[in-house]
Amino acid sequence: MAENWYGRMRRFSGGPTRFLSETNVEVFLTELLRELRDDRATFNLKVLLLSPLCEYPDLLCSSDSVGQETALDLMSVFAQCPRKSTQFRSHLLVALTCVLICTSCVRSRSHVALDFLDLLFQVAQDVSDVHNDDTSRSLRATACDCLQEMETCCPGLLSQRLELLSGLRQQETSRLHQVYAGLQTVVLKNAVYQLTQEPGAGAEHLKCLLGGNTSFAWEVDQDAFQTDSKDSAMLSSLIQGSMGMMPTLHTGPDCKELRSVLSSLLEESYLFTPLCQAALLHRLTEVVAMVPGIPPTIFRAQLLRLLGTSEVCLFHATLLMKCAFTDSLFSAEDETFLLKRLLVLSQHPLLSIPEKLFYMDCILHFPENRPISCSDSDEALPVLLTPQLASTLLPTVFNDSATMLARLHLQSLVYLEEGVEESRGLVYLYDHLTSMLNIVESGGSREIVVTFFRAAFLFLLYFSQVHSYCLDLSEQLCRLYLRHTRLAPHLINLANQTQERLPECTWAIGLLRGLQKGITKALLGQLSLQDLSWHLKVLTRVAEEREICQHCSLGFLSSVITTSPLGVGGDWRLGNSFLAVCRRVLLHPTLDSLLIPLADILQHLACYYGDADIQDHARLYYTLLTTVSQEKLAMMLAQEAADNGPQVKKRTLSSLMAENEGLTGALTVHQTETAVLCLTLVSSEGPGESGQLHEKETEDVTDVLEAYRSQFGEPGFMPDVTLKYQLVHKQDQDPRFEQLFNIRLHFVLTDDHYEQLQDINVPCVFKGRPPPVVQLRLKPRQPYPTTLRVSAIFTTQDGFSWHTPLPDVHVAFQQSFLPVPTPPSWSGEARLQLFERLWEEISSETGDCAVSLFCCQLQEAELNVLGNQRSMYICG
Amino acid sequence: MGLRVLWIISHEGGENASIRFSRRFPTVEHRARSLSGSSYVAVPEDSLILQPLLTELGISSSNKSYVAQRDDCIYRPRSPALELRLDGEKTLWPVLNISQGSLILACLPLVDVPSETRPPLSSLLSVSQGLTLLAGLQTFLLGSGGKPYGDGLISRLEMLPSALLQVCPLGTPLDVPLVGVPTTPAVPIPAGTQKQPAWKTGLHRGRAMVNVAVTETVRSMQYGNQSRQDLWDVYGTVTCKCEVEGVLPNVTVTLSLPPNGSPLQDILVHPCVTSLDSSILTSSSVDNLDGSAFSGPYKFPFSPPLEPFRLCSYTSQVPVPPILGLYQLKEEDNQLRLTASLKLHETVKNNFEYCEAHLPLFNRNQMGGADVKVSFGQVDVSKEKNLLVWALGQKFPKSREVSLEAKINFSGQSPGPCDPLCTGLTAYIKLHFKVPDMTLSGCSVDQHSVQVYSSSKPRIATSRELLCKEYYIWNSTGAAPVSGAQMTT
Repeated sequence: MAENWYGRMRRFSGGPTRFLSETNVEVFLTELLRELRDDRATFNLKVLLLSPLCEYPDLLCSSDSVGQETALDLMSVFAQCPRKSTQFRSHLLVALTCVLICTSCVRSRSHVALDFLDLLFQVAQDVSDVHNDDTSRSLRATACDCLQEMETCCPGLLSQRLELLSGLRQQETSRLHQVYAGLQTVVLKNAVYQLTQEPGAGAEHLKCLLGGNTSFAWEVDQDAFQTDSKDSAMLSSLIQGSMGMMPTLHTGPDCKELRSVLSSLLEESYLFTPLCQAALLHRLTEVVAMVPGIPPTIFRAQLLRLLGTSEVCLFHATLLMKCAFTDSLFSAEDETFLLKRLLVLSQHPLLSIPEKLFYMDCILHFPENRPISCSDSDEALPVLLTPQLASTLLPTVFNDSATMLARLHLQSLVYLEEGVEESRGLVYLYDHLTSMLNIVESGGSREIVVTFFRAAFLFLLYFSQVHSYCLDLSEQLCRLYLRHTRLAPHLINLANQTQERLPECTWAIGLLRGLQKGITKALLGQLSLQDLSWHLKVLTRVAEEREICQHCSLGFLSSVITTSPLGVGGDWRLGNSFLAVCRRVLLHPTLDSLLIPLADILQHLACYYGDADIQDHARLYYTLLTTVSQEKLAMMLAQEAADNGPQVKKRTLSSLMAENEGLTGALTVHQTETAVLCLTLVSSEGPGESGQLHEKETEDVTDVLEAYRSQFGEPGFMPDVTLKYQLVHKQDQDPRFEQLFNIRLHFVLTDDHYEQLQDINVPCVFKGRPPPVVQLRLKPRQPYPTTLRVSAIFTTQDGFSWHTPLPDVHVAFQQSFLPVPTPPSWSGEARLQLFERLWEEISSETGDCAVSLFCCQLQEAELNVLGNQRSMYICG
Repeated sequence: MGLRVLWIISHEGGENASIRFSRRFPTVEHRARSLSGSSYVAVPEDSLILQPLLTELGISSSNKSYVAQRDDCIYRPRSPALELRLDGEKTLWPVLNISQGSLILACLPLVDVPSETRPPLSSLLSVSQGLTLLAGLQTFLLGSGGKPYGDGLISRLEMLPSALLQVCPLGTPLDVPLVGVPTTPAVPIPAGTQKQPAWKTGLHRGRAMVNVAVTETVRSMQYGNQSRQDLWDVYGTVTCKCEVEGVLPNVTVTLSLPPNGSPLQDILVHPCVTSLDSSILTSSSVDNLDGSAFSGPYKFPFSPPLEPFRLCSYTSQVPVPPILGLYQLKEEDNQLRLTASLKLHETVKNNFEYCEAHLPLFNRNQMGGADVKVSFGQVDVSKEKNLLVWALGQKFPKSREVSLEAKINFSGQSPGPCDPLCTGLTAYIKLHFKVPDMTLSGCSVDQHSVQVYSSSKPRIATSRELLCKEYYIWNSTGAAPVSGAQMTT
């Protein structure tokens, strides 16, 4: 059994939804809980069994009620579990927390959630487990973690217990004081936030809150905090960069109690792990930011320690503190210091690459005391960052890709601000780009190639106006291409992206012109097949540019196909590449002047190319070129019309397209956004009606039971449930789906109670005509209700193929009923006799028969239907 | 704050990738759902995450030279936070990741800053927390040396669920997992008035001992070229191992420099340092050197954890590199002529633990004949690797200068190793050396300056050493693969 569970858990974690679709979720959950209660199972296994509940509680507990029941079960497991198995009990608490939060039981303050809270408080205050092995955290710590998570997810939940928590923290001297402090801080922050939302709340309220004196005037209106907007506001961080609206609590200068709580937490913060310290500082920053009565200088004493820290999270918390308090805590010198620190940290040899990149990101979003730009998330350099300071972050070829690009990005921003004309920085950046290009040229790896093109793109993005460099870059790239033609897709990508990002910049055209020039001047004798096919890819792209003259491209094509052995070899792919260039040229605005050379090329291909398909296409293009006017040609070939134009035309022309264009569009199966069709049940005429109740040819059966049973021995005899459905359109559909052809319905079972279903073909469904009826033949293994996933593939009038999901088909319990399968020739009397014999045998409970009970919950209507069907049924 | 999910993935050069471990934190996911409202993107199941992650890391389909999704030139800051493109228009951001060898650790922090556009990474505390946790897990799984994985990794992965229960039970990272159990006997702390630090797992009992080691590392790029300035830098770390009784014992370590020593810069300290003098932090490598800068002594009062730790790190600007080299290559008559000379600076102790110069000659056919002469030391010619290893042993000669001359032809039939940074005349010598009991900055810890406030007299040991890393001497007759213009600041 245990082996089985290990396998099941492995399959579950491999793909939970798939696993659950193959089984009944409730059954699985029940089995899981049963196994957890089983004393024979080891605790290792039990911990494993909890993992679905810890990781996917909402998949297992589909509703609040299931969540509550599960939680009750888990709590009883907890109660019965021996105290010494701390590990398992800790996992149980975590699982309970996950189940209760994710099924909204905590938010709705359900009884079980409140009971669990009580349990957690009991555990959290239970100092009797002091003798716990000190290397593993005790159950108390986990209980506090759970409480903290409950408070975080449902802010304000514990605000009445603040005094208790404060007491627990102060008494605790073991390492556990950290978890109490964490919990207290979260509750404190949420409680103060709640107060800021109470009109008229002030110092007195704050005092009462800290004193836990709830009998005083203010009491949290629990319901008020259950609305979504407030909840989600409280879930988010209050320190958000720009001067956002910080909720404030006006207390006046008198808030001694809060101040003393904060001071004592801060004093102890040194004793916390860096991660907890950072979280604590962040939350306290939020509290102080909300209460103007507390001066931010309360953090001063910690600051020096934090400014020198090597821990990324502590330094980050300090930056966030600066973001919240600006010059009320950080002087101008502090600001300069912080920026220099960031520069140092961004390139520190002892830090990891992700950390350094993070620090670089912090420079781009540096929280300045007096920010000039108010933009929220745009990257802007701090005013203090001079080119000289920034020069410590110059990119070098020894950097890893991510660092190099991040540095280049930062430097580009620096020099852009400095003014590019006489910038030495720009000289450096361009030299750097050239060094990278040299490395690519001497055979850099794929990663270096990709990085180089990204760097080139960044450079162009920022300095496209500096013509001298851009021109030079373009020339160098052309030279690079001719040495390494495999870089063609990178170059085309670079041209495309610069055109898209910098629409007014003509750099890409210059590059393409340069490439065209380089290619067309290449010596044909040295051309390899590989080079040629890359060249043709580039020329195809070049032909898309209206401003580039295509004469030399055609000249190149012509000389390749007439003089080079590659030109007539008959390679189908290469032929298509030739045709792709021609097709592009057919669309070129200067086609008139290109007519004769293009016609020559097409004619040559049509006559001499070694592949019949290419010859055919070339002939077609030739015919089009010579007989159709340029405007019509453009219209026929332009793919822009694809979206809403008459699609029939597109389909018929799809064979004109090059292999990578419209053709693939027409050949692939598209996915509809919503369901187009659905199956609706045809109201049944009563399953007994299928012509089996003939009274006429009464066959005399002596032993009905024997005859009845003998049927089951016949091969292929297996009763099936036939259900009739209409295949109808869903409402408000796209008009192109009004007429559907060749529909193939595919069914997927969600459990293993039935045999696999065959696909069903329907010739057509037209809107407005009577819908076709399809018959589902279900072969039951067990007559349980089930759900079928349905999808369909169909063709629309314009020739496109589509795939669409259909709403699930639910098969109810009563639909799986069947009349007793008796031979059609039997009389009603014989059937009655059979029923009685069967009944007798079942009632006597002797022999080999077994009684199977299936319980399911039925709605009243369903029950009536059951009651009204008086015919004899046996299930499945 | 919090993490929505954690993944540990192994792969072999982008192939055979598999998720070795994953952990979802549904309560954080629950928060993510309510925070992001309609723009919520659920974390997909494990099977759907591999491909987008590998694509974004640029290591998917390694057999294809160009894949549009992977190799697009559009610049997106790809690290430390990736944006994974899932099915349709959905994207998952910010996926933090740390890679080491064939292991990728990734997590998805909660974005708890409401923003129309994407908030900056720096506004999310969970990002630095996630990075800290990932780094801690990496050390936990691979050890600090980053050993290749095997059975050790498997057993570590099996320990992860219980480790996570302690350090990140519900998605909020609280600590990083303990790498090893402290070797010293630690006993639980008896109840008392003094609060125990959360980062200290027990109490030391026994003889007090403090061990302080200063390790300096020097890096250099030398070009032997008037137009290009040579570069070198030095950074140091001070590691401590303290076995001292008491819940929160006080120890002070003082670093001192020789007279006229240039000040220690960019000092970073361990979180156990209790207080710092502001003058210690003022000196920074991004500033110009200032004669009046504070130059010690540098006092670091702290309360030590049980395990060894890095007390602080610093950088220093030393006036000269320890070894100055010159390297020249000439191609003549199908032969490559090499001349190299190395000179040990007079201030550096002539007493190495080891010293080796590696001369790779890549992107050529395999070496045929090699005729090598050296004034000192021994040369090992590795023909398969196209590499000369010049072992200099423990001492330079009295003159402190050594030289090498070689004639090599590359008549081998098969091509040798490749490296785009070492092509033709773009070639280098890479030095590897270690000098015990010295630092370049002169920084040292005097045994008597270590103060321990403890009942018993502690045993105190201090040590220093100098290492090198990325110490390159480029061929002065070729183009070094660096930018031509030198930024002088």
